Amino acid sequence: MHALYDLAVGPLAWLAFGVFIIGSIYRLLAMRALALKKDGAFMTYISWPHAIKSLVHWFTPFGALGWKENPGVTIATFVFHICLFLVPIFLMGHIVLFDTFRGWSWPALPDGVADALAIVVVLICAYFLWRRLSVPEVRFLTTPQDVFVVSLVGLTFLTGVLAYHRIGDNLVLTTLHILCGEAMLAAIPFTRLSHMLFAVFSRGYIASEFGSVRFAKDW
Amino acid sequence: MSTIADRLIEDAGLRAGVSRLTPEKIEKVFKELIAGECGARLKTYLETCVHCGMCAKACHYYMSHKDPSYMPAAKVTQTMAKLMAAGGKVDPKLIYECAQVSYTECNLCRRCIHYCPLGIDTGYIMSVVRRLCHKLGCTPQYIQDTAHSHSATMNQMWVKDDEWPDTLQWQEEEARDEFPGLRIPLDLEGADFMYSVIAPEPKFRTQLIYQAAAIFNAAGLNWTMPSMPGWDNSNMAMFSGDSEIMGRVERAHYEMAQKLRVKRIVMGECGHAFRAVYDVGNRWLGWKWTPVPMVHSIEFFWELIQQGRIKITHKYADPVTIHDPCNVIRGRGLMDKLREVTHFLCEEVVEMHPNREHNYCCCAGGGVINCGPPFKNVRVAGNSIKAEQLKATGVHTLVAPCHNCHGGLEDIISKYELGMHTKFLGDLIYELMEKPEAE
Amino acid sequence: MKQRTIPFALAALVVACFLAMPALGQQDMKTIPDEGFKTKTRLPAVFNHDEHNEKAGIAECTACHHGEKDGKRDPEADTSGIPCSDCHSAVAKPGRTSLMRAFHKQCMGCHMDQKKGPVTCGDCHKPLPK
Repeated sequence: MHALYDLAVGPLAWLAFGVFIIGSIYRLLAMRALALKKDGAFMTYISWPHAIKSLVHWFTPFGALGWKENPGVTIATFVFHICLFLVPIFLMGHIVLFDTFRGWSWPALPDGVADALAIVVVLICAYFLWRRLSVPEVRFLTTPQDVFVVSLVGLTFLTGVLAYHRIGDNLVLTTLHILCGEAMLAAIPFTRLSHMLFAVFSRGYIASEFGSVRFAKDW
Repeated sequence: MSTIADRLIEDAGLRAGVSRLTPEKIEKVFKELIAGECGARLKTYLETCVHCGMCAKACHYYMSHKDPSYMPAAKVTQTMAKLMAAGGKVDPKLIYECAQVSYTECNLCRRCIHYCPLGIDTGYIMSVVRRLCHKLGCTPQYIQDTAHSHSATMNQMWVKDDEWPDTLQWQEEEARDEFPGLRIPLDLEGADFMYSVIAPEPKFRTQLIYQAAAIFNAAGLNWTMPSMPGWDNSNMAMFSGDSEIMGRVERAHYEMAQKLRVKRIVMGECGHAFRAVYDVGNRWLGWKWTPVPMVHSIEFFWELIQQGRIKITHKYADPVTIHDPCNVIRGRGLMDKLREVTHFLCEEVVEMHPNREHNYCCCAGGGVINCGPPFKNVRVAGNSIKAEQLKATGVHTLVAPCHNCHGGLEDIISKYELGMHTKFLGDLIYELMEKPEAE
Repeated sequence: MKQRTIPFALAALVVACFLAMPALGQQDMKTIPDEGFKTKTRLPAVFNHDEHNEKAGIAECTACHHGEKDGKRDPEADTSGIPCSDCHSAVAKPGRTSLMRAFHKQCMGCHMDQKKGPVTCGDCHKPLPK
């Protein structure tokens, strides 16, 4: 287990960050090249002022029709995504690893707050899974990959919470936590999680069409 | 859970088309289509849809049936996603399903864009599915007939070259009884604008040409209509997936305006035609914007009212409600002008909700009504949400500046016994305007 | 005379005890001293000095209690008896090692090199075993 832990915080961490960063850059550049090559008659309408205006609405809870009409999902989605970024980046335990091995340090969230937010993420993942399996509209669309990615995120946070509370064998849970997190990072460029990379552009494109060609709002 | 496979409707065109297919042929055509015509948009949309289900409430089909298989994302998972997963090597039966979903269960109204946080354009994906079906020769018989008409006559309704000017002159003659000085000027070079209409107008709504002529006459405008092919601004080939014919039809229309050296095109009260001329045809032909300036009737009437060229004797007394057609509202942002014109003409306007960009579709557009009788019951049943929306206004007059919307709305008004009647803006203006010449 | 001897002897005893502290004090040590931190976010790391060294076979004090030379770690100098926080302040100046980093590097670094001993947060920062 000790060896696996060493592997997880060492080579695998490099690999996960490498796959995530290089993979993301590659996907973005490849998609851009494809868009320029094949969607020229559409890319020409890209208008960042319109895109930004629309994105501001879509990044505001209840700022767009879809959000207003789905209040439960909206709250869950916003809280989930905010915590998804906030907790891992500003978690003391993570900062300590960077501080110890790379000498980088930045302010951390209070442990209690981070713990509470992480539990919230686990609960929201459970809610998402519940929706996937029991809300007919979502169940109709659900594929194994959808269940896999939400489970991966949920497990990453769940093992993190358990490790923080020293429930179960700490080395086993911490190692599992790190491996899940690394799998999640590496999966971002190559699964539905890639909406993290493309959402701004797909929304920005359609907002440009609506704003500059169709003179109508798209939120 | 029910899927498209549980509600297939017999259509001669689809049945004949599918009977000629093999998985290998579908695979070949699908791969060519993806490699040749599809790019980052399709790829991004298919890959990033997180299957959250938020788009369900966007679609009038879903809202009417409350059946998940009608929601926008489900239309994709039942068609394009399956094709992609199989690399196009699918049972021909799936093409039948793809065709029925894409041609008859999606109006390409783009309302779902207001629901998807990722901005996925389901209408576009459905257009790609239609394009595949077209390339496979698997299209609903009725809409294919209109596409054939476009390719043979450059108009949608098999109107012959002599029938068209004949109809215009007939309407001119009729109108001269009421307005002795009225002309429908044919092929007048250098006129201020060319008025173009859809082929169903000469075919069975000739009074609309009459009314337009009366309005332009009263306003004292310098206008013209072409006597040659290129007069029809409709484009069903755009909806059947036949981009080549779509492009030819649009080229004929633009070039007719250029040949007549008119300052701009004014389009009759039609939504899909506006989409074809303003948003789709130009791109296919390589123009960023339309090669000839053009406006929709809503905007044109608004200008005439601003300039004081339309004078009315009184306002329409009965309260009216406004239906926002997707192709000129979500497609051109004319919601405010539509309201200003309607308020100018009517005493009382009762808004329906949701409205403006968020309005529910009429369920006829996007070529759906053009798929004909086999699919009529589906689209009428698929828009009970619109019927409820109309009923809630409590009014009896419905202003809808779009042909397809008229067709779809009249069907649901009759089916759900709403006791309403639909009006074009031209109907109202003609009814209310000062007619100094009239005898 | 006798009255003077008692306080003197007591004082001498105190001094002797004081002098003997570095050599004997660790016997009672249960956790890493955390007095150097202003705010304490976690429980102090569990650390029984003598038991640890016996188990790990560490005889040289300098294995941990290193010194400093030209801003670099000097493994030769023996600094046992000097609190770590005397040199490693909680908030370190640029180029210096903060107290937290010093502790983590010292413990976790060695445990990872040796592939022995606790390496996760919860295996050190935990309540004292009863």
